[in-house]
Amino acid sequence: MILSPAERSYLYDSLSQKPPIRPGARSDHQFRPLEAKTSFLPNSNGSARIRLNDGSECMISVKSKVVVTKSVTNLIDVDIDVAGFRDDSNFVSNLKYNLTSLLITNFPSQYLKLTSKYSFKLFIDCIVISHSSYPLSLISLATYLALKTTRLPLLVSEVNDEEIEEQPTFSDDWDNAKYLDEAFEPPIFITLGVIGTNLLFDPSIEEEQVLENGLIVSFYKDNVITPISNINLATNSNNSNFKGLNQKLIIESINLCNKYCPAIIKALNTLTEQDDEGDDDHIF
Amino acid sequence: MSRMEIYSPEGLRLDGRRWNELRRFESKINTHPNSSDGSSYVEQGNTKVICMVQGPMEPSSRSQADSTKATIEVNLSVASFSTFERKKRSKSEKRMVELKATLERTFEQSVMCHLYPRTLIQVDVTVLAQDGGLLASVTNAITLALIDAGIAMYDYVSCISVGLYDQTPLLDLNGLEEKDISTLTIGVIGKTEKLALLMLEDKIPLDNLESILGIAIAATHRLRDLMDDEVRKHGNVRASKLAKN
Amino acid sequence: MDVTEVINITKPSRSRGYEDEDDDSDIEMLGNNHNDGEFTNNNSSIVTPGELITEDPIWMKGHGTYFIEDKTYSSVAGNVSRVNRLLSVIPIRGRYQPETGDHIVGRITEVGNKRWKVDIGAKQDAVLMLGSVNLPGGILRRKSETDELQMRNFLKEGDLLNAEVQTIFNNGIASLHTRSLKYGKLRNGMFLKVPSSLIIKSKNHAFDLPGNISCVLGVNGYIWLYKTNLNNQNNNTTNINIHNNGASPAITRLEEESSWEIYSDKNDSNITNAIRSNITRYYNIIKALSFCELGITEPRIIMGYESSLSYMNVGSLIDKDSMETICQEIINNEKMRG
Repeated sequence: MILSPAERSYLYDSLSQKPPIRPGARSDHQFRPLEAKTSFLPNSNGSARIRLNDGSECMISVKSKVVVTKSVTNLIDVDIDVAGFRDDSNFVSNLKYNLTSLLITNFPSQYLKLTSKYSFKLFIDCIVISHSSYPLSLISLATYLALKTTRLPLLVSEVNDEEIEEQPTFSDDWDNAKYLDEAFEPPIFITLGVIGTNLLFDPSIEEEQVLENGLIVSFYKDNVITPISNINLATNSNNSNFKGLNQKLIIESINLCNKYCPAIIKALNTLTEQDDEGDDDHIF
Repeated sequence: MSRMEIYSPEGLRLDGRRWNELRRFESKINTHPNSSDGSSYVEQGNTKVICMVQGPMEPSSRSQADSTKATIEVNLSVASFSTFERKKRSKSEKRMVELKATLERTFEQSVMCHLYPRTLIQVDVTVLAQDGGLLASVTNAITLALIDAGIAMYDYVSCISVGLYDQTPLLDLNGLEEKDISTLTIGVIGKTEKLALLMLEDKIPLDNLESILGIAIAATHRLRDLMDDEVRKHGNVRASKLAKN
Repeated sequence: MDVTEVINITKPSRSRGYEDEDDDSDIEMLGNNHNDGEFTNNNSSIVTPGELITEDPIWMKGHGTYFIEDKTYSSVAGNVSRVNRLLSVIPIRGRYQPETGDHIVGRITEVGNKRWKVDIGAKQDAVLMLGSVNLPGGILRRKSETDELQMRNFLKEGDLLNAEVQTIFNNGIASLHTRSLKYGKLRNGMFLKVPSSLIIKSKNHAFDLPGNISCVLGVNGYIWLYKTNLNNQNNNTTNINIHNNGASPAITRLEEESSWEIYSDKNDSNITNAIRSNITRYYNIIKALSFCELGITEPRIIMGYESSLSYMNVGSLIDKDSMETICQEIINNEKMRG
């Protein structure tokens, strides 16, 4: 996306005000409204779809497979497909790397453990049908919803199979299937834009064009966790404003996320509870 | 899977349908109004397809600009989770390339491409779930999305698969049936008997072809009505909204 | 803290205005002869592709139709329009279709030989010929080779401008011109896009709004909201003067105006925060109208602005519920005023 110089300078000036004047008049910590839906793929253990008003949209499927724990390096496998981008492009590889490492580092693997030998392995597939701004945060929120609503079949065979040669068997009644864990709140990513001394949650594509820097903050269990990374969010265009990052702003971003991210988690949880009640399995 | 089960002596198929019954067909248009010029969602049984159309628009590369007509580009992406067993599919797989080419050819004929010289019509299809009749569902979804985009077409292209079990044609095969018996997929223009698309997997005796085509064409006419119904419903709601202005 | 201050997540609403009877059953082929008549007769206010519109050969076929052996069929889903002898079908959705005289907003996509290409949201980019713009030094000046070489200094990729559609070439490409001081490069504001079908053509697509804001409501659905330029009025009079009495002192004034400044990329230095906030308010009103698929007109924008004043937090206007409320208020308002 290319903006005209006049648009850029107008936007830059507006966003640098204290408090910033964002297009759409969002406050600095206000996300764009989301529309979300879970559990619409009957062939997957968990699924979620998220859409923004501008048409950005992402779908997640979580599928499970029983594996011999020792035979695999990771119990989580993430794949991301972005419409219009090659799978081996930098853009897709970066998204994939970020999400994979966030989940692998922070996912409590005991939830997936079946017996002393066997575990579930989760395959998280993400399709970004369309996007305008940097989609990592959108993807991670959708992943949150999908994992939160993921159900795994109930093990009916012996848990301790160290001595006996037995393959795990499961209850064939789907109603017995279990959520990963009631208390489990998967980690998420939040994108922040840096402009002057302002930090903007969830920058839109227009805002991304004039930012001085971008931050990706990870949030898990009510706290900001590592990694916190910085990135030029304006992909595919030349952002001449981009410059170094003031350390103080990193500290501030942590404080802001600690303050506001619990509300995001709460909103996501509310949605999964609502979806749980409804029996409407239409996608659209 | 033994061949006996495909079609029982009582005349029932694996999923309880009779030979001439179609699966549940549900379609929606204008599902992605903010990210595309035209969009649709089609469910045929457990096969689920999303389609988005961009254009006609200025092509990004000059090689796609034809001074006599629009260029149609179909991008087909099949989600790894679309089958029961997860499987990653590459866009360069032979079957995918073949489907893409078939779809592009079909719609170059049915869309009035000469009205849009030097433009590109980009069709992005995402298959979310597949259980037989993939090509048919994709074709139906593209038809609806093109109509939603306001792109001129001679008529609907409605598409169905049909298989042959012994001497009995079976309509609208599901995934299990498709694995076991030869499948013919046809796309028909409107209420005519003109074929816009014909694809045969495996082989079918020539003697049986006529009866199979007959029943398949009747089925596409039925699908055309169902799609038309959705287009009209949506169109009338929209027209009444605009009339208020 | 209120969660909705941070994020608002809703379930997709199936508010399509209709709900289908949910039948889960397979579709019977035999004994269910779906006759063609059923659909064509039932309350059809719209026609769909392949539908026979008339067998009467008297009609001339316009856009959205085709004919075979004197029979005219629809090629799109839309409403039939009969103007004199011309029969056409206007699609319900579709890209912007430029027409001569349309006031539009566009963005430069390419600088070429003696011409610019401009994205106007149509099927093809429009062209703006070097000869169709005012150049520094007044419109009566001859275009020189130097001008050709420095085209990027006037307008370059990404620049926004407002212009008028001068003519449509045979191949459907629109040709634009900016030869009036009300047209040209855009500054001091913000751009947004809505579907062009929501813009209702009127006499005037550039107007001032309460709160020192002006708006160019491009017929193509591209919109520019900006700080009202107090010199604007003068410009307009200048313009009229040229047409009325060519030799008046206005010409000198025009030369002053069409100095390099008209191609400047610099915004005014005195854009206050109040003005910036007002622009975002209008931005949200227009987004709301678009969300509810209401036609976008000057009176509606103003009405929306007035009812939005009860919202202290303009940022909450981006939520679905608020957008619907604002639009409902606009509709009620219109009913009351008749």
